[in-house]
Order: sequence, then structure tokens, then C-alpha cells
Amino acid sequence: MKSIVFAKRTIKEIMRDPISYIFCLGFPLVMLVIMSIVDNSIPAQANMTVFHIENLGPGIAYFGLTFVMLFTSIQVSKDRSTALLLRLYASPMKPVDYIIGYTLPICILGLVQMTICFIASFIVGLCTDYTFAIGDILLSMLALFPSVLLFAGVGILFGSVVGEKAAPGLCSIIITVTGMVGGIWMDIDGLGGIIKKVANVLPFYHGVSLAKLPFRENTEQLWEHLIWTVACGLVVYVLAVIVFQMKMKKDVK
Amino acid sequence: MEYSIEIKGLRKEFGSKIAVNDLDLKVKEGSLFAFLGVNGAGKTTTIRMLTGLTTPNGGDASVMGYSIHDSLQEVKKVVNLSPQETSVAPNLTVRENLEFIAGIYGFDKAKTKEKTEQMMEQFSLQEVENSKAKTLSGGWQRKLSIAMALITEPKVLFLDEPTLGLDVLARRELWREIEALKGKITIILTTHYMEEAEALSDEIAIMAKGDLKAVGTLEELKGQTGAENLEEAFIKIVEGM
Repeated sequence: MKSIVFAKRTIKEIMRDPISYIFCLGFPLVMLVIMSIVDNSIPAQANMTVFHIENLGPGIAYFGLTFVMLFTSIQVSKDRSTALLLRLYASPMKPVDYIIGYTLPICILGLVQMTICFIASFIVGLCTDYTFAIGDILLSMLALFPSVLLFAGVGILFGSVVGEKAAPGLCSIIITVTGMVGGIWMDIDGLGGIIKKVANVLPFYHGVSLAKLPFRENTEQLWEHLIWTVACGLVVYVLAVIVFQMKMKKDVK
Repeated sequence: MEYSIEIKGLRKEFGSKIAVNDLDLKVKEGSLFAFLGVNGAGKTTTIRMLTGLTTPNGGDASVMGYSIHDSLQEVKKVVNLSPQETSVAPNLTVRENLEFIAGIYGFDKAKTKEKTEQMMEQFSLQEVENSKAKTLSGGWQRKLSIAMALITEPKVLFLDEPTLGLDVLARRELWREIEALKGKITIILTTHYMEEAEALSDEIAIMAKGDLKAVGTLEELKGQTGAENLEEAFIKIVEGM
């Protein structure tokens, strides 16, 4: 129950910052529209499918999660910089309450963001003669959940180890890398070479690919993407929990 | 219970520095007890140990009969503190801040509402009820911070330099609020302001470099040192008479 109370507070704190709307919702939606226009301008002979709405929709839903990570890291670091956490450390709250209290809002915000992204993609699809099947959208959203865990972990991790000013900088590195090697703005499979190798060892390309799979005929790489995405999500999240608890213990020494 | 707090040989070291040196102390239930000392005297460290924010290196203390070593979770249920720094949720309104802390301490909806109304009235917070905490002045934030500590019905309230940085009017107003609590709960106050300790305290402890130099009522401290006021007594005690 304490964790739910703390989670409600975290959601309010994040959502009452207007910048979070601009980045978490505005920016991905604007990118969705712009890239759909770009897609419309690319001749069919180019055989470039990365901006087709069935790829762009799940890709941007994934990209949007990076901004949830950004605001989580800012919130965690901000809480640490004020004496509010000091007050809460003196309360009967347990470490697990803090972790749930930070993770739950990320899951809820991630779910809302994905839903809005897919509704927008559905509408754009109708304008471009592509009809999303609701079942595929639900499967894709399910496939995105391990990545929510990944970004929740990164957000909590950065928020725990650095201050309010450094956290956005570190997150912007992750956002840039996600954009570059995630396969959202570039066809990684088509590129190959070192980019593909780098993409393969990071979780972003696998996470994006997993979210795109329900809209594809070919699902042969399902297990590879699934294992990478789930494993990375779990490892990073567990690491974040350990680091957060270590920092908490250090604060009360 | 005669004493809310009983401290026996409490010790805290940071590396080679002794922040609190084998402190022995008893605080009567329902009294307002002030810790006085210059920076680095060990006042805040003592409060941090008693609230579970810092682990002692030695000794023990019982708060309302619960040991800070063996029953820290129980201690946390019966104490609350208003830290030195601003400790409010900045984007939450005044009402939401109060409800948030009540929820953290496990109050149900009805009790949360009842206690929130009570705190709003007690601290005259109605006029800023819907203002976000970050938009409040320092004085209002400090009042809110104390109300957030009191809403949980603590048996022992720790106020760590509650009037630091406030103007004289805001300070006097806060004194009135603190004075109104006397006798109802035990209050542990740390302060740099002699007149604050003089005006509010039942008993005063003077600390210097981690050591407890003197403890007693205002009159006892003045009597021990032959001083006319607390400031003079404080200087004599800290400087070793």
C-alpha cells in the first residue's frame, strides 16, 4: 500500500511537469507524422520499408519509452537532492516500496504512451492503406513490456548514481544510441557491417525488432530477439534495484 | 512512561572523526528538549541516529521503549521529523503533501481526510491549500514540513533547525505553533538560536565536538555558570568556563 501511495506521488510529480508531455507524447507523435510524410515521398523502387507505418508505429512506441526513462531518472535524482527522501527514509517505508513506487508509474506511463502511439499509428495506417489488426497491436505492446523494464531500470540506475543535472545527459546518450542502432530510423538489417554488430550486442535493436514482429510474416528471429530483450531488461532492472538499495544504505550510514 | 528517550553510550564515528561521543541522555515524555551547539557539535547526527537515518557505531537508545538497534521499524512508526532542508514534494499541493505522508504511514481514506483537515486548521494552511509546495515561501514550506511530520501522530517529533533562514515574523509564528504542541508530544529541537531555545525549551543539552557538555533547565544552566542568559551560559560551557 505504501508503494502505491508513493507511486501516485511519482506520477503526479512527473505529469505536472509540462515538458514531460512535450517529450513523452508530443515528440513521438510529431515524429510519427513527419516520418510518415517522408515515407510517402520515398519511391517504391527504393524498397525502403523502415518508415512504413507497420514498422514506424512500433518503432516510435519503443522510442517513446526512452523519454519515460529520461523523466524517471530526473525524478529519482531530484528526490535524492531534496530532503524528501530523507523524510521518507525515516518513515516505515521499506526499500521494496521505493522500487515499486518508481517502477509502477513507468509501467503506467509506458502503457499510456504505447496506446496513444498505436492509436495514432492506426489512424495514419488508415490514411496510407494499411490496417493494423488489434490483436497484433496488443501482441506488440506485450512485446514492448520487457523494454519498459529495461528503461525503468536505466532511469532508476542513472537517477541513483548521478545528480539532477547529469542524469538527463546520460539519458540523452541512451536516447541517441537507441535512435542510431535501434532500427527505428535506419534499416539495420539492410546496413549490416559494424552497425549491425553493435546493434546485435545492445538490447535496443532486439527490443524494436520484437515489437515489429507481430506485423511481419517472417518470425524466425523471435527467440533471439525475445531472449535478448527479456534478459537485458531483467539484468538492468535488477542492477538498478541493487544500486538504488546500496545508495539508500549509504545515505543512512 | 517517564522518559520518551533514553540514550546510553551512543556513538558515531565518521572515519577518524568522532561525531557523537558516548552520549548518555534521558528526555522526559511530553517535554520540549533542545540540543544546542555550534556547527559540527553532533546535534543533527544524534537526531539522525534516533530516527534511523544513521547507524550508530556503538551504544543504544530507546525511543518510546523501542530500541533503535532491535526495533527500528517500531521506532519509525512512533517518531517523525522535519529535516533542516526543505522536505516537501514540490509538484504536489499543500493538501496532497499532507495526504501523501498520511498514506505512507498507512492511514485509511477517512483518517487521512480527518487528519489533513486538522493539520490545515492547526497550521492555518487553508489559504495555500491548493498551491504547489514549490511555489510557497520558506516560512510556509517550513510550516507545511512540520505539519507533514505531525500528521502521522508521532509520539516524538524531531525538529532539526526548524526556523533556520526564516524572517523574524515567520519565526515567531512557528514558535507559537511549536509552543502549542508542548505537553502533547515529546519534541526534540536542534537550533543555533539561543532565544529560540530559551523561549521554547523545558530542558536544554549543550553539545560541542560530539560531547555532551551540559544538560538541564534554563535556570539550572544559568545557575551552573553564573550567567545572566542562555547565550552567556552557552559560551561559558562550550569554552570550558
